[in-house]
Amino acid sequence: MITAQQLHKRYGAKTAVDHLSFEVRPGMVTGFLGPNGAGKSTTMRLMLDLDNGGGETLFDGRKFGTIKHPMREIGAVLEAKAFHPTRTARNHLRMLAAGSGIPFSRADEVLDFVGLAEVKNKKPKSFSLGMAQRLGLAQALLGNPQTLILDEPANGLDPHGIHWLRDVLKSLAREGRTIFVSSHLLSEMSLMADQLVVIGRGHMIYNGDVDGFVRQFTQSSVLVRSPQAAQLAEALRRVDGATVTEVAQQPGTLQVSGIETAAVGELAFQHNVMLHELATQTASLEAAFMSATGDSEEYVAREILAPPGTATPPPGGPPAAPPVPPSQPGDTTPGGAA
Amino acid sequence: MSSALRFEWVRLRTLRSTYWLIGLGLLLTAAIAFGVAFATRNDTVNAEDAGIIITGGAELAPFLAIFLAIIGIFATGHEYRHGTIQPTLTAIPQRSRLLLAKVIMVAVTAAVMAVISMAINIGLGSLYWGSGPDLAEAPLNEVIPGYVVFVVLYAVLGVALAQLFRGVPSALVILLVTPLIVETLIAGLSMWSALDFLQPALKFLPFSAGGRLIATTPYEADGGPEFDFFDRWASGGVFAAFVAIILAVAWYFFKKRDA
Repeated sequence: MITAQQLHKRYGAKTAVDHLSFEVRPGMVTGFLGPNGAGKSTTMRLMLDLDNGGGETLFDGRKFGTIKHPMREIGAVLEAKAFHPTRTARNHLRMLAAGSGIPFSRADEVLDFVGLAEVKNKKPKSFSLGMAQRLGLAQALLGNPQTLILDEPANGLDPHGIHWLRDVLKSLAREGRTIFVSSHLLSEMSLMADQLVVIGRGHMIYNGDVDGFVRQFTQSSVLVRSPQAAQLAEALRRVDGATVTEVAQQPGTLQVSGIETAAVGELAFQHNVMLHELATQTASLEAAFMSATGDSEEYVAREILAPPGTATPPPGGPPAAPPVPPSQPGDTTPGGAA
Repeated sequence: MSSALRFEWVRLRTLRSTYWLIGLGLLLTAAIAFGVAFATRNDTVNAEDAGIIITGGAELAPFLAIFLAIIGIFATGHEYRHGTIQPTLTAIPQRSRLLLAKVIMVAVTAAVMAVISMAINIGLGSLYWGSGPDLAEAPLNEVIPGYVVFVVLYAVLGVALAQLFRGVPSALVILLVTPLIVETLIAGLSMWSALDFLQPALKFLPFSAGGRLIATTPYEADGGPEFDFFDRWASGGVFAAFVAIILAVAWYFFKKRDA
């Protein structure tokens, strides 16, 4: 069990981490989510006493610096390529094992476990990011710790690697370990994590289970397609709270929010409007993440100035809908034609 | 503490540069020792020549000390250059213990290598020495332990400088430029009448003072600035104090700053 209380850190006038308090419980994977620059790594560095700041983190009631051999209790990897380029993977782990009273044989065991047995005597300067991440995980598991703290461990892994990592972390959690893993990709976390800590610009945005996050930050809308769209739009606009938007790219298609799908169908029936499509649209997890952290993005790209003579779209036009990956929960649910 | 020392021992011996630097240091000093011994093979070996042979010419160019200082620089500088300070501190979060282990391991390595180097050099010298100089007599009986202290101080200075600058290049520049350029420049400037007030301070120039640890003859101006160094061990103390100050500042910032 990790208990973080009032963690805070400032760089001059800039607040990197703003009084974050959360718990990471054993037996489950807790995802630590936020856009780039949100303060995830700084928070993890504060937890591990690598950075000086305010607040306190307790690992089963003890501060990190007071644990005699922390690697045997807390496996942490914050940077993917934190090794000397010419010290072999095996020697890198043996060095850390020596510092933690762990037998050297354990280095071979964890390298075998992460699939790096064949390259254990190779210089890691030629390692890909994915291999470096595997070495990082081996390092974290070296002391067979009850707690794992991993910063963006899926970065650089191929799809097989991500699948493997997900299975490994879930099975470690099932063994009763405490897993705290950061990512800037919600899709990744939604498949891996049971609980979420979501931050933006150092502030807590959400702390709870994954479903709760989706419920809190997703808004449903209804998609209607009809040859009498104008007539239906007029009827819908008379309903309190309903907002109707005509989908510009698809004539005869309306995006309606603030009203249930069934009510739209009933209204169409009452007004003798024929429908070709009626569907509930739930925003994807990614959309929920964007909605939750949109205002707290640290680094936002600006549009490049258009070359002279190029028409720019007028401001305030309808934003493009975020793409909905097919594997995501919350896809468009057909509601049937009325 | 023993875990931190074991960590440092494995760190040191799993780095190829450790072997290269020690090998090169021993080889260069042995080559100088052999060259001087061979060149003076028909002469009666005086204490000055014997000192140069034993230390491999360290009074003129302290190769072994510089190479062990680089090993010291790598002990702390590599941690930042390659980002290994993060895994290191998650294994050994007690920063004072870690830095102390680095200082001890590098100092012991330096001391052992200084002794081995002198044994090799004395062996090479004795090929041509016939009766040979008496190593138990002054000044050689002081130069021999003085050389061990000299090499150890250089190596510890390397650890301290790289910890202070949190990297390799700045520490290397300070280590090489200060004795070669800065101290030579100050000594040179002190010879101008307008700046001769600098001369009393010359005995406090740390690297020059450190060099007295392995001196076989008293300092002679010989056209250079007129001043007197402290005696051998007090001059060694000046150098040691300089190393201690750098180490203390580096230690303070290591404890205080983010890793």
